[in-house]
Order: sequence, then C-alpha cells, then structure tokens
Amino acid sequence: MKFKAFLTQDGVHLLDKRFLPALDKVGRICHVYLTPDHAMFLHNFLGGAAGGGGVECVAQFDKDLLFRDYRIASANADRIAFAVDVPLLHRALRSALTIHAQSLAGPSAAAAVDIQIKLVKKLPAGSRSSAPFLTFETKGARSAVVQDVPISKPLSRADVAELQASLDAAQDLPQTLVQVPDLSQLQSLVDRLKNVGDLLTVSITQYGDLHLQVSTTLITVGSEFRKLRVLGAHAEPPVGDQNLSARTRTEMAIQRGEALSVQVSMKHLAKSLQCHLAKPDCAFYGIAPHGACLTVIFQFFIPGTRLTDKSISFYCRLPVLDPGSS
Amino acid sequence: MSSATEDAGGDEAPDLRCQLDCVQGMVDALSSVRWKRHQDAVLELSEHGIVLIVEETGCLQAKVYLKRELFLVYEYAAEGRPRLGLSLGLFVDSLNTFSVPGHNSIIEILYPGPDMQLLLKSVGSLDACFYAEIRTRIPDTISGDYNFQHAGNTPVSFTVKSAVLKEAIDDLEWPGSSIQILLQPDPPSVTFRGEGHGDLQIEFFYYANIDLLIAFQCDRRISYRYKYKFLHATTSNITTSVLKENRGSKVSIGRGGMLKIQHLVSVARSGMQHAYSDAGGLHQPSRIAYIEFFVKPEEDESPINDS
Repeated sequence: MKFKAFLTQDGVHLLDKRFLPALDKVGRICHVYLTPDHAMFLHNFLGGAAGGGGVECVAQFDKDLLFRDYRIASANADRIAFAVDVPLLHRALRSALTIHAQSLAGPSAAAAVDIQIKLVKKLPAGSRSSAPFLTFETKGARSAVVQDVPISKPLSRADVAELQASLDAAQDLPQTLVQVPDLSQLQSLVDRLKNVGDLLTVSITQYGDLHLQVSTTLITVGSEFRKLRVLGAHAEPPVGDQNLSARTRTEMAIQRGEALSVQVSMKHLAKSLQCHLAKPDCAFYGIAPHGACLTVIFQFFIPGTRLTDKSISFYCRLPVLDPGSS
Repeated sequence: MSSATEDAGGDEAPDLRCQLDCVQGMVDALSSVRWKRHQDAVLELSEHGIVLIVEETGCLQAKVYLKRELFLVYEYAAEGRPRLGLSLGLFVDSLNTFSVPGHNSIIEILYPGPDMQLLLKSVGSLDACFYAEIRTRIPDTISGDYNFQHAGNTPVSFTVKSAVLKEAIDDLEWPGSSIQILLQPDPPSVTFRGEGHGDLQIEFFYYANIDLLIAFQCDRRISYRYKYKFLHATTSNITTSVLKENRGSKVSIGRGGMLKIQHLVSVARSGMQHAYSDAGGLHQPSRIAYIEFFVKPEEDESPINDS
C-alpha cells in the first residue's frame, strides 16, 4: 500500500481556508478515501458504531485539483481509506504553510517550495509496534519539517467496499432541488429557530418553495422562501395560491404530489449549514425519493466564471427522523 | 395589505391587529425583563398599546409598555382590556426569528387566532415569509400590590446613566444578599451598601458627579433594603442598545419602600433611510418602549429611617 503526492497551490488553499474548517464543524473525525482519480473526505459513511444517524457529508476532489505527482497503489484496486482527526490534519497543513511563507520571504524565494504528503508506517516514540501516519514534508529555504499526523489503520477490503457501496447509494439525486438564496441568512434563521425546538419539518415544492417549520405543543414557528430556482422536476404553482397561508399551501402541494416533506434534527441542519465555511457559490436543497433523506448540494464555480467546477463535489445527506418516534 | 387578515378566523375583526417595523427593538425591550429561562408573562391589550407584565412571586414585577405610537398600524377592536398568558421565552425566541439580519420585513401581530393563539407573521415580502403561532392561556391574576405611590409630598427619585446603574449593581454582587439604598438631601447623594461576605459601599454625589447623576430629588433621608437577586434582575438583562445610548434610568422609592426602576429602550429601526420611517409621522421621541421594574423592600426589618 503506497500513497505519495505533492499538494498543489490551489489544493493547499482550498483545504486550509475553506474545506478543513467546514469539515471540522461537521465532525472531528472523517474518513479520507483515495482512489486513482479522486480524493474524498467522508463523514458518517461507515454504518454501525461510527456512522449511524449523523449527517453524511462528502467532499470529493479530482486528484489533479489537490495534488500533482499523485502515486497510489494498493492491493485493493489502488484504493486506500483511513480515518483522520480533522483538526490535527489542519494543524499540520497550517504549520507546513508557515514554513512555506517564511521561505518565500527569504533570499531564495524563486525556488519552488513543496509540501509532500505520504502514507508511512513508523515506530512512534515509546511504542513497540509501528503505527500508520500521514506525513507532511515541507522543505523551506533553511529548514525542512516533517510532521506525522496519526491516522487509523487503513480500512479493510470489506470496509472499503462498504464505503464505496454507501457512496454509490448516495448518488441518487432528489427529483426536485431548490436553490437557497443566502446561506448565511438561513444559518442565522436556524440559529434562532434552535431556541424554539429540536425538530424541524422541511418541505420542498416543485414550485420552488422551501418551507421550514418547528412545532411544539406551545408554539409553531415557520419560515417560507418562495420562487427559488428549481432544478429537476418543476411545476407551475396553482392559481391563487399566494393568498393562502404558507402551511395550507404546503399541505395542498403535498396532497397533489408536487411536494415532499421530511422531519430532520435541528442539530443536523445546523451542522450542514456550517458547510458554508467552504464558501460554496450556491447551495441546493432537495428531498430524496420516498423522503429517504434531506440532501444539500453545494456548488462551486470555476474562479471568475459562472460555470460549475466539476472537479469539486460537496454534499450532505441529513437523516430523516421518524415522526412517530418523537 | 388587503390580504393581511386572511388567516383570522371568522368575520369579526380580531381584538388586535398591529404592525411593527422594528422587531429588534421589541426583542430588546422584552429581553430586558427576561431574568430567567422559563418565565410566564401576561400581555394586556388596550387602545393605548400593549403592556407585558412578568412577576417573581411576591417581590418583583416588571412591565414593558409598547405604546400604540410604536406601531405602523394599530387596530384595536376589543371590549375591556383582554389579557393573555404566554411564555415570555417562547415569545422572545419566536420574535427573534423575524429579525434575521438583512431581512427588514414588517411583522404583523394578530390576536386571537382561531384557537386563541397569538399570531405573528411577516408581511410585505412576497418571496419570503416568517410566521409563528404561540399558544396562549388564561393568565394568572396580576397582583395589584405593586401600586406605586409617592410617600410624601415630594417624590424621592434620582436618575442615573443606565450603564452606571448596571455597573454599580453588578459590583454589589460580591457582598450579595441584601443591599441598602440610602438617599439623603444633605449632601445630596445616593448610597448603595452591601453587607454580606464583606462590605461594599457605592456613593453617587449629586454635585460631584453631575454627569453621572442626571437628576436628584429628595427632601429627607430615606433608606430601605432590597434582596440582591431582585435588584440584579432589574439591570442584568438590559440590552446593549440601552447601555450604548446610555440614556438615564430613573430610580424612585415610594410608599412603604417600593422601589421603581425605569429604563427606556429605543424601538427605532436602525438606519432610518427606509421608506416606512416617515409613515404616520413617527419621530424618534415616540419610538421608545418604557420598562418598569418594581421591587419590594425586605420585610423583616422596619425601615431604618422613613420620617
């Protein structure tokens, strides 16, 4: 099992300033999954003890976006997966960057400074058995720094197969996706709704309405955003429905089969909203067929354009709570 | 605005339908009397406005006055003065969801809903709407014994910068338990004295600190003791806008040592450039919510001097 690559300038920037802070908020531990074409960061994708019930989050990058001289080899179709502590990974990257910055300020600024990462097995100090690490090697003008980030034992063939299977299963898109206008506004709304209750009902119509509602025995608070951009199945709102209340309108749309509604945990939604730390250019919400989950898809543009950057794929799936169990 | 009442049950006009363009101001005012997490409040509606009343058993009462002038629209159609009970925390939290930054919508308050709820919703924006329905209950009776009356011919009171009052009361936390407030005309001064784990005395001299003590009225020496935790409640949740504007807070001592503390909270929309700011000739002075706290003195001791 071998993995070795140099981080690209863009890759360093994307991870340091955008993705690692966002991933850290989703969960401290994530799986890194490397294939011959992609590098992925996965949260809650392995069922059982670790996964079970949290927000599933996938950040997938084309290998060429993050790395150059990407070398990967394993007995399992050249795929490697392991768990890592996100804050530790971020710390290693930051200090590598500091060395980088110092050498840029030095006399040999022209010399390219590289951050190489590789998978190694080492004997940690004071231990008798060797342990796996993700090593960052940074060569500055006057110094070279090696940092070892401890990782889990690489996943077994069966676990990688399970990871891949649940990734494949997560591919089916909701029929209707609505574009959320302003993520930070939504976040501040959810922050306030959090005080009212723990369960949130999310409804999405094919007319482009997103309706959030918290309801307890004492209070019902809701918010409806209308006329959002719709991707996928789209329908014209019935005539005269603007005179109805948000709740009636949503109920009628569900009856007509032009809307879906699910209940999710407020905590999960708040977590998924933290993903806006990755500074996506837009975000879409949708409910998977049969109300299987609430899907949030973040889109990134190629810098300076309005074209989707296909080399990044970033989405979350929020588990749906059984309304009966609450 | 014709569609605004479509949710109201029945054909009769609701008891109250009002609209407000500064939700944050209302949140600020109501938060000032929220001294613990679960608090029951009573709303009293009248042709003059809305009064919110909260009580702590037998010792502390607070009132927030939201005059009708604060509202863009105020339609009152009830007989008598309807009263409704609700949870202050839920009311503030749900109002809070309306004040999402960058979203300056107008909020409409309607009572009663089909099931006697208090209904809130945003109006004016077609593409985003916020709403809340708060269940109300039959309110507890409000005790009438907070009726504040001046003790003598001249009212005994002083006005101090709100931030200073808060700071003084915060500092008195250290001696804790029981705080004595003493006013005397010669030299004109106010003294807060705490004796407990230690002694702490804070004095305001009228002539020495004329910009701290804005006004002072006292023709005889007067002194009462108050429980620290109730005194603390009168300033602990004052919103930062009050401290920033730093208007005065007025403190009066009435018959039997009843302490009254009044704060002013601005309910003006920040950045008055909005088109609605001129509607109905709403000018700054009328856009103030009044908050009053009444604290009863400790009973176990006879007044130290109330001649």
